[in-house]
Amino acid sequence: MFNLFKNKNHEKENLDKLLAKSDDFKCIEYFNNKTNVSFTLKFLATLVDSKTIQESVLPYLLEENFKQIEDAKQIIPLADIQLSEDISQIEDKLFTGSVLLTVSGKENKFCFLGARKEIGRNVSLPEVEFSVIGPKESFVESLDQNLNLIRKRVPVKELIMEKLTVGTLSKTKVAILYIDGITNPENVNTVRQRIEDIEFDEITDSSYIVQIISDNQNSPFPQLLDTERPDRISAILAEGKVAIFVDGSPHALIGPTTLVEFFSSFEDYYLNWILSSFFRLIRLFAVVFSILVTPVYVATLSYHYELIPIDLMNTLVASRRAIPFPPILEALFLELTIELLREAGARLPTKVGQTIGIVGGIVIGTASVQAGLTSNILLIFIALAALASFTTPVYRIGNTIRLLRFPFLLFAEVWGLLGIVVCFCFLLTHLIRLTSLGRPYLEPLYPPRMQDLKDAFIRLSFDKQRKRPFLLNTKQPNRFHKKAAKYKKDIEDE
Amino acid sequence: MNSNVPDSKKISPFLVFFLIHTMQSGVGILGFQRFIAKTAGYDAWMSIILSGLFVHILLWMMFKMLKIADGDMTSIHTFVLGKKIGKIFSSFFILYFCLFTVAILRSYIEVVQVWMFPELRTFWFALVFHILVIYIVFGGFRTVAGIAFFSIILPFYIAVLFVVIIPYADFTNLLPIFDHSVKELLLASRDMSFTLLGFETLLFFYPFIQNPERSKKWAHFGALYTTMLCIYLAILAFGFFPEAQLQKNIWPTLAMWKIIKLPFVERFEYIGVSNWGLVILPNICICLWCASRLAKQLFSIRQKTSVPAIAILCLIATSLISTRGQINILTDYTGKVGFYFNFIYVPLLFAGTLIAKKVRNREKHT
Repeated sequence: MFNLFKNKNHEKENLDKLLAKSDDFKCIEYFNNKTNVSFTLKFLATLVDSKTIQESVLPYLLEENFKQIEDAKQIIPLADIQLSEDISQIEDKLFTGSVLLTVSGKENKFCFLGARKEIGRNVSLPEVEFSVIGPKESFVESLDQNLNLIRKRVPVKELIMEKLTVGTLSKTKVAILYIDGITNPENVNTVRQRIEDIEFDEITDSSYIVQIISDNQNSPFPQLLDTERPDRISAILAEGKVAIFVDGSPHALIGPTTLVEFFSSFEDYYLNWILSSFFRLIRLFAVVFSILVTPVYVATLSYHYELIPIDLMNTLVASRRAIPFPPILEALFLELTIELLREAGARLPTKVGQTIGIVGGIVIGTASVQAGLTSNILLIFIALAALASFTTPVYRIGNTIRLLRFPFLLFAEVWGLLGIVVCFCFLLTHLIRLTSLGRPYLEPLYPPRMQDLKDAFIRLSFDKQRKRPFLLNTKQPNRFHKKAAKYKKDIEDE
Repeated sequence: MNSNVPDSKKISPFLVFFLIHTMQSGVGILGFQRFIAKTAGYDAWMSIILSGLFVHILLWMMFKMLKIADGDMTSIHTFVLGKKIGKIFSSFFILYFCLFTVAILRSYIEVVQVWMFPELRTFWFALVFHILVIYIVFGGFRTVAGIAFFSIILPFYIAVLFVVIIPYADFTNLLPIFDHSVKELLLASRDMSFTLLGFETLLFFYPFIQNPERSKKWAHFGALYTTMLCIYLAILAFGFFPEAQLQKNIWPTLAMWKIIKLPFVERFEYIGVSNWGLVILPNICICLWCASRLAKQLFSIRQKTSVPAIAILCLIATSLISTRGQINILTDYTGKVGFYFNFIYVPLLFAGTLIAKKVRNREKHT
């Protein structure tokens, strides 16, 4: 017992020694004239709000009737005050912005005063998932602020927020959100288990968590959906999914997810179901078009020109007459140009980025056609394909789609249309094998579940959305009770 | 012998429809019209119905046997023939499925070589295809069933596009009806059965079906759908080609595609032939999966070892066959083996199972 105590004291000395090396560590002794008690405040100046100490701590400690450490609770007007004798807590508390108060002579009892300095931006407009209709809030870097946005939208006791800490150096706080009584506990357990198992030193963003806890880390497809919209999170919580928040990241994660969910914008739910279904179909078409158009161009012009009707062939031949390269080089050249432009544009400030876009798009495009390096028809295709790849509402999947084009191009060059089919089969197999938190990624396509098709390629009206997704195997499969069968009105009935 | 399959690895009964149908429709469906018209002329559509009926009877027998033996083919063999002899009989089926894999893949490559790429190297294409198949089989039976599902859903548009042919067809070709003898019709239905083969794989994946009782109707629907599709294609071909011209087309289905024209597609058969790769893919996957599963049950070889091993064997066999004559011998031989297995061996085994059940019951009573 004595040994243990000594060890702990030793630990404390060690801590003090290490802390003393940092310039922002303050250890100041004060003296209360009224009660003749001297006390010490220890804190990290960078983490603590000095205004709080000056206005709500020091005046009371110096002038009120402060005799022993237990009095602090009564005289200091702060909400977050904690008395403790546990030395191992000190490090944690100091580094989360608490002030350590000790009375001289009685160092084994101490008090933590919460005086954290909050620096961060305010809630702002969503930038990645902007929508014209609907709420304009988006998450910020502070975990508490984000959780506040969710609590406001789901004010029920069943909304559970579990907190975990990950990362040996970053000590990042991670919150798991779900609704008790709806969400399948199996999913929550999977998420909790995987987050607890994370072995990493510095977790700086939710993107780290996505990659570490994904079912298959060697897949270009994101297996958890990330969003910056509080409305989306509250909606998926109601569906029975699990949300993961990471302190310091303005993107929350959603799981389990499916491939089609990446092509649904949250604005779809704010529009009439006919319109939103139409837009969803357009987006899906855009994705297929974006992946396949250049490979099909290369395949047909390299191998199967018989495939093209004679009138169309004339146009194609005219545009390619003076070009010295085979179609694959032409396509690769243009694809890489577009990727370069995108990469350059993404790293530049908005205004410069626009200029680069114009220079790249118009000048390089026109010049390369006039110089006879590429055909103008391919230029149209590539530009359309690039445009189409940006229609995806989730940024991550857009990147995946742009990458997928290249294996298709190579296969098309080797075996023409047959190669495209073979490459497609590889992609299909990969998608069938992929899971998100152990649930099939391609659902409701495979395994085929008619019931979940109501909110996949098209979104049916809200009165058809009575059932929660079958995929999630929720504890309460009905979202609302069906009204008693109404008498169906005839034409002239009142 | 009856190994337990975990519930999470099983498939829902409704997918049996796709598994049965996909196994039946392979390369055969591209050119069956010529075979059956050879003996039964344009009355051959009746032969399709006849062999379709046989398929249903056989499916019924298979389900009965599987229920009695409670397991798959190996347990039926054990039930009827005993452990040792059963094992020997079952091991023949590894070869049977290898033969099927080679026959299907080689004849598809032939179609590609004739219609699209005369210079396509058999070895390289077969290699990539086998890698794909290994990747699928490694995903387990659920992935195999998934590929089967998509191989029917995605190329479905081709079946619909055949409607374009109807204005060019003259269905009076089919008349007069019944100008062929019953014998000729029966012979033609034997030829037809080569095309309808493949449903015997049910005997091997049966333990992987959730709630197998409910899968019965889906299996029958699958077989029915194949028969209907064949009748549809046969009648179209009979209307489209005069009888003498049909005999000159090795792949009448493919030849019919030539007529399909869209504003931006002139020769549709290129798209069709490429797409057919997706149609034959599950056949090879299922065959390879069955073979490796048998190897696991009989010789307890891990599937992760047996799948690549069998694939390499099939790859070598596929690339060794090069001439039209060899391919013809191979497909004829495979068709015959499949025919004897399905239409002679299965009924015999069925009788054997019933007798064995009677004997066991009597033993129990005494």
